[in-house]
Formats: sequence, structure tokens, C-alpha cells
Amino acid sequence: MDNSTIVCRCEEINKDEIITAIQLGAETFDDVKRLTRCGMGPCQSKICSNLVREIIHEQTGISLCQLKPSRMRAPLRLIRMKTLADHRTANKVASVLQDSEEGGV
Amino acid sequence: MNNNYDVIIVGCGVIGSSIAYHLSERQKHRVLVIDKGFPLSGTSGATQAWVWVHSKTPSWYGELSMYSAELYPFLERKIGDVEYKRTGGIAPFFHEEDRKNAEQLAESQAEVGIDIDVLSREAALKKEPALSPEIVGATFSSIDGNVNPFRLVELYIKAAKKLGVDFSFYNPVVNMKKQTDQYIIETKKGEFRAHKVIIAAGPWSKELGDMLDIQVPIKQVRGQILVTEPLAPFLKHTIGGLRQADNGEVLIGYSKEEVGYDKRSTVDVLQETANMAIHMVPSLANVNVVRCFAGIRVMPLDEYPIIGEIPQLDNAYIAVMHSGITLSPLVGTLMTELIVDGETSIDLNRYHMGRFSHLLRNKML
Ligand SMILES: Cc1cc2nc3c(=O)[nH]c(=O)nc-3n(C[C@H](O)[C@H](O)[C@H](O)COP(=O)(O)OP(=O)(O)OC[C@H]3O[C@@H](n4cnc5c(N)ncnc54)[C@H](O)[C@@H]3O)c2cc1C
Ligand code: FES
Repeated sequence: MDNSTIVCRCEEINKDEIITAIQLGAETFDDVKRLTRCGMGPCQSKICSNLVREIIHEQTGISLCQLKPSRMRAPLRLIRMKTLADHRTANKVASVLQDSEEGGV
Repeated sequence: MNNNYDVIIVGCGVIGSSIAYHLSERQKHRVLVIDKGFPLSGTSGATQAWVWVHSKTPSWYGELSMYSAELYPFLERKIGDVEYKRTGGIAPFFHEEDRKNAEQLAESQAEVGIDIDVLSREAALKKEPALSPEIVGATFSSIDGNVNPFRLVELYIKAAKKLGVDFSFYNPVVNMKKQTDQYIIETKKGEFRAHKVIIAAGPWSKELGDMLDIQVPIKQVRGQILVTEPLAPFLKHTIGGLRQADNGEVLIGYSKEEVGYDKRSTVDVLQETANMAIHMVPSLANVNVVRCFAGIRVMPLDEYPIIGEIPQLDNAYIAVMHSGITLSPLVGTLMTELIVDGETSIDLNRYHMGRFSHLLRNKML
């Protein structure tokens, strides 16, 4: 891999950008992710996760078994909004206007 | 390494990093910021990041949010491109009864200079054609917008570093003690000393307070967000409940659950969030959801920011709040005035932690 190699195909992040994040002090996959977007794409880091862990290992010397994988969350693959929706009425999801007494957000 | 500082800030989220940057501009103090993880691993890395003003009530709280939103263009000129966009904000409503509330909101916010239009259904759909034809109206204000929270925190830190602030990451504070005129901050990476300490540890501020025998009157409220695939730009405004980011993704969600520090995503809330998305913007039914995330809001018990000195403890300060993205430029500015000049350009009395003293005395926390 040279520094222009694309590490995260979904978000088009190259090795150089990963190294820059590590030089800023990032030591975990999720911390690199929040700085570079690497891992936020449609494959949800299935392709780039291990590559990034290797680069962190190579740059910082932290052993691979100490480098946790990315936090996995649903959905594990793309899903249509209408498939996810269940069309019941919302109760935990508030409306900004109704909530304005409390200040919203 | 010299471990003595004038000011130590615990927590490097948007609030801690903004205070550090604004303090560094004055070049008066040696400042250290300590974070148990890496910046953005707290709430500031799991947020919608609206810079939202118009529905914040009562109006004195709306006014605070407005002043902060007004600082963003200047901030961006100083620290660089944080993708701040003053898109204007729309909060749609679906019941005719809500029009009266909307008009009352517009009237009370006008007193502090927040301009709100109460839009008819037609006017709202003309402004934002993707909205559901089922809305009956909306409130609109041009002051609302959004920002990229990752760039924001990163650039606060870079600017502060350039002006001499030290940072220590992956370094939890494990204890704090007051010794005559100094605070001793024990961390995993050693001991630091400072004349002044600022707690800006978001939802974890409670634990930090405990170290100093101070009860911090906050609770934790989880929020979950859905993120779509990147879409061609089609939403012009920040909409109460969702927004489209620069890269085309739509971020959707406005949920509130009190489940402590649990940061998991749950299917019931994700389903409800998808319902809300389709209810507000029907064309979202056919787009793909790529990912989701959850964050823990720090919520003061009366829901208003806690900013200023910690009562009964000299030289100790606190800054915790929900809507910290909106408020960070102003909170950084005011905390700097308080620490460097001893007084603030906006009266912070309402936000002082002392307002909870009756609760604290009754040991209700
Ligand atoms: C889903 C969701 C949506 C939101 N939407 C918006 C919005 O649209 N607009 C808006 O303005 N606000 C929004 N908010 C709120 C906003 O994100 C928060 O108010 C803000 O991020 C709080 O910043 P903070 O710096 O106080 O806390 P944090 O970002 O949590 O930072 C606190 C830091 O303290 C560190 N820390 C904790 N304990 C210790 C310790 N013992 N030693 C050292 N360091 C420690 C943590 O690691 C963390 O980095 C939202 C929140 C959520 C969850
Ligand atoms: S390759 Fe990185 S998210 Fe898909």
C-alpha cells in the first residue's frame, strides 16, 4: 500500500488521510472514523475495518489484538426506509414544536 | 513535562474544546484539556448538529441560542470551514390546533428579536416542496441552520493548539482534590495541578462532580438517529426532525429515552424514526437507510444550561447542557470572560448552578 491507496472504498478515503488522523492522536477505529468518515459508507466498514486497524498498528505499535473492531449497529446492510417503518404512531419520537416548552433538541 | 497549569478543562467535547479555544485567544493562561477518550467519542460525535433557535423557549433561552447562532459566521472566519450553513429552519405541524401555539411562539420570540413566520400549508410547501402535503402549516425562521460537528470540534482543537493549549487524550481523570489554592487532578497518565478547573464532561460530569463532593443536577437522555444513503440535494432547510448534510445524507431523528449511559440503537425507536421520516417527507420512503447512531444527551434537571462557577467551591467552574452544538460559540466566549475578566457580557445568573440548591439540600438527587 502506498499513501494514495484507497483504504475505504465507500467513502474514498486514502491511506494518507488515515495517517493524518492517527498523527492527530486517534488510536481506535471509531476515532479515525469520526475524523475521516472512513467506515461510514454503505458497507458499514466491512471492507475497511481491518485495513485501518493494520495501519493504526503499523503507525502506533499498538498490538492488533488490542485494537477493537468498529462498533456494529443495525442495519447490517442497506434497508429501504419503508421496509424499516412499521407505521405505528410514534411515542418516543417527539415533535419539535410540541416540545418547545422544554427548549427543543 | 511541567504539570502545572492555570486552567484545566476536563472533557474535550464541543463545550470543552470551545472554552479552550476562546481562552487561548486571550493568551492569558496556560491551559490543559484532558479527555478520557478521543474528542468526539462523547455526545459531540453523535449529534444532529442543528444550530437551532426558533422554537427554544422561554424567550430568554431562545435569545441565548440566537446570540450563539449569530457568532458562527465570525467563528468560521477565525477557525476555518466548519460547514456552517444558515439554511433557515422549518418546524411543520399537522393539526390545526397547533397554529395557535405557533402564533404564540412567534409573538413571544419577537420580543427578543427572533423573527418567526407562521406559514400556511401552501407557503410551507412552496418553501420546502419535499414536505408532506398532509402538513397544515409550519413555523419558519431564517436564523436556524446546521454545522458539521466533527469539523467543528477538530478545528476548535487545532486553533487552540496553535495558540499554545495542551491536550491529553485517552486519559481519564480518576480523582480531583482541592489543596489550598490549587486543584490536584489525578489521571491515568499522572498528576496535574491547576488554579482553576472547569468541568465540561457532558453526561459524565456527574462523576466528575462526585470527585469534588458536588452533586451535578443532570440526567442522561439517549437520542437515536437514522442516516440515509447520499441523495441529490433536495432539502433546502433544517427541518424539525431531519436535515440533509453537505454530502447528501439525510440525518433523521428526534427521540428521547432515559436509559442511563446505554448507547445502543434499538429497533423500536429506529422504526418510529422511519415512520416520522415518511410522515414528514414522503419521498424518503423509497431511499435506503445506511446506518444509525445513538448519543447520550446531558440534560440538566430543569433542562436549561448550567454555566458558571460551582457554588461553594472557589475557582471551580462547570458548563453542561443539551444543545451544546448550538451554544458552543457563546458558551466558550462567556466562560472566557468569566475566567479572564471576572464578569460576563451577558448575565449568567439564570444559568448558575446555585438555582438547584433547594434540590441539592433536600438530597433529591
Ligand atoms: C441524538 C442527539 C442529537 C442532538 N442534536 C443536537 C442538535 O441538533 N443541536 C445541538 O445544539 N445539540 C444537539 N445535541 C446535543 C449536543 O450534541 C450536546 O449538547 C453536546 O454535544 C454536548 O457537548 P459536551 O462537550 O458537553 O459533551 P461531550 O461531547 O459528551 O464531551 C464530554 C467529554 O468528556 C469526556 N470525559 C468524560 N468523563 C471524563 C473523565 N473522567 N476524564 C476525562 N474526560 C472525561 C468524554 O470522553 C467526552 O469527550 C444532540 C444530542 C444527541 C444525543
Ligand atoms: S469501505 Fe469503508 S465503509 Fe465501506
